[in-house]
Amino acid sequence: MERRITGGKILAFIGSAALLVAVLHPFLWLLAAAFKPEQEFMKYPPTVFASHYTFDSFAKVWDSIPLLDFFKNTVIFSVGVMILSVFLDSMAGYAFARMKFKGNKTLFTLVLVTMMIPFQVLMIPLFVEVFKLGMLDTYWGLIIPRAASAFGIYLMRSFFISLPKDLEESGRIDGLSEFQIYRKIMLPLCNSSMITLGIFHLMNNWNDLLYPLMLTSSTEMRTLSAGLAMFVGQRNIEYGPTLAASLLALLPLLVVYVFAQRFFVQGVATSGLKG
Amino acid sequence: MTKSFKNALRVWNRPDRAAYLFIAPALAILFLFTVVPLLATLVISTLDMDVFLQVKGFVGFDHFSALFRDERLLDAALHTIYFAGVEVPLQIALALLIAVYVSKNTRFRKFLRSVYFVPSICSFTAIGILASFLLDPQTGVYPNYLTHLGLPRLEFFRDPTWAMPSVILLTVWRSFGYSMIILVAGIQSIPDSYYEAAQLDGASKPRQFFSITVPMLMPALSFTVITTMIAALQVFDQIFVTTQGGPLNKTETIVGYIYNTGFQMAPYDLGYASAISVMLFVLIMAITLVMNQYFLRKESDMA
Repeated sequence: MERRITGGKILAFIGSAALLVAVLHPFLWLLAAAFKPEQEFMKYPPTVFASHYTFDSFAKVWDSIPLLDFFKNTVIFSVGVMILSVFLDSMAGYAFARMKFKGNKTLFTLVLVTMMIPFQVLMIPLFVEVFKLGMLDTYWGLIIPRAASAFGIYLMRSFFISLPKDLEESGRIDGLSEFQIYRKIMLPLCNSSMITLGIFHLMNNWNDLLYPLMLTSSTEMRTLSAGLAMFVGQRNIEYGPTLAASLLALLPLLVVYVFAQRFFVQGVATSGLKG
Repeated sequence: MTKSFKNALRVWNRPDRAAYLFIAPALAILFLFTVVPLLATLVISTLDMDVFLQVKGFVGFDHFSALFRDERLLDAALHTIYFAGVEVPLQIALALLIAVYVSKNTRFRKFLRSVYFVPSICSFTAIGILASFLLDPQTGVYPNYLTHLGLPRLEFFRDPTWAMPSVILLTVWRSFGYSMIILVAGIQSIPDSYYEAAQLDGASKPRQFFSITVPMLMPALSFTVITTMIAALQVFDQIFVTTQGGPLNKTETIVGYIYNTGFQMAPYDLGYASAISVMLFVLIMAITLVMNQYFLRKESDMA
């Protein structure tokens, strides 16, 4: 193929570079602003860069809001959901993919149908249900309703179905139980699918707002998303610490993204293939 | 191990039986926390019940007839449709345009892909906080840039007219990368030979885009449009953080109104809030089905 520089190519390059700036600029501003001294926010005209930088906001933020609690809660909730859901989804996906049983097709179709129900329709009864179970404002109340997901079952099933046939036979000959076949033969083959699914769950739950907002009521049980949203709503903490807290809340997922980008992208791309 | 336990193990170890044990935990969770709430919504919407779960009586379809006289709900529905009607086309158009450009695996384009996706992994809470600082009429840098360009100083989230466009802009900024990833996967699965054949026939780049890329991309594209639309009809997070439905309720959406009715405003009417969510469900299902039919026809037309 010939390679020519055309007007279209230049236009596309300029456009994508401009978009790159538009995407990155707010993050770079945040990075600078979190280290600004508080009085610089009042300066007019506002500037991106400050005359000098300090760690004041990061020192103060822990006293202004219970950020440590928010972090702890977010990690327990999102990592808890991730571990449980990957485990339960992979088990169900495995059975749907590789075991013959009555009702396989029907049940799997029903699982897919539940994927179409928007959360907003379920949220009020879910609140009532979790309250009745005495789990409102607890970790279990946050984790258990999300401990399995239709999308996860779908994703794991499509992986297991692509594995070669007769893989189980060697296990059966060795006298392994069905669970041991799954655990010792199948699971080791699907590490990358499980990481993809795990990261998909981690990202969604780490960032979720409405769900933890409904199912927690005390400040000490709030997640980062819900807790920070409440504190911003009250507008009673200083600018610097608010931005420092936002930066800290974003950082963990961004770090994971840098090292495991492939898995983030895979999860999203797979969700598009089910259409 | 006792004998009966061993016996039970043997009975349940047949693949056709063990399968039920494999699916039971996951299906139990889905049943308890998706199917049961779905049915419960219908029940709760016929009750006079508040957030403290005090049931004061059965009201039948009263909540549903009240929906049609509720002007605040009508406004919320119109705001939601405004949001979805503008946000979805913008997000998809931008994502498609970008996806076509970045789907080639050169180093620079791979880099663009990874950067464009970054906002999608950030919570709307953090992004919303960021935006309300950047767009603040007094202390924000962006309104200030605008005045440097000789444009009027916009109030963004504080201005009743501009609040919704600002929320839309924020949403497109955060989510176009997500749609882009799905579309890139779709574009990369189109065989190169199609484009090579088109090139031999002398088809221009735009012609190739409309005659090969778009039709071949239809499944991924229709999925993206439909899921983006479903998400847009449920818009809540970014508004809760930035405008909280204001100013003058101009950005209150259906889900925002459900949340306010049930959890924010006395008398914390969960029954009525459930009736609204049933209506929202019907609306979402209807729009999804119509769009699905439309895309299926399109796909068969193009095949």
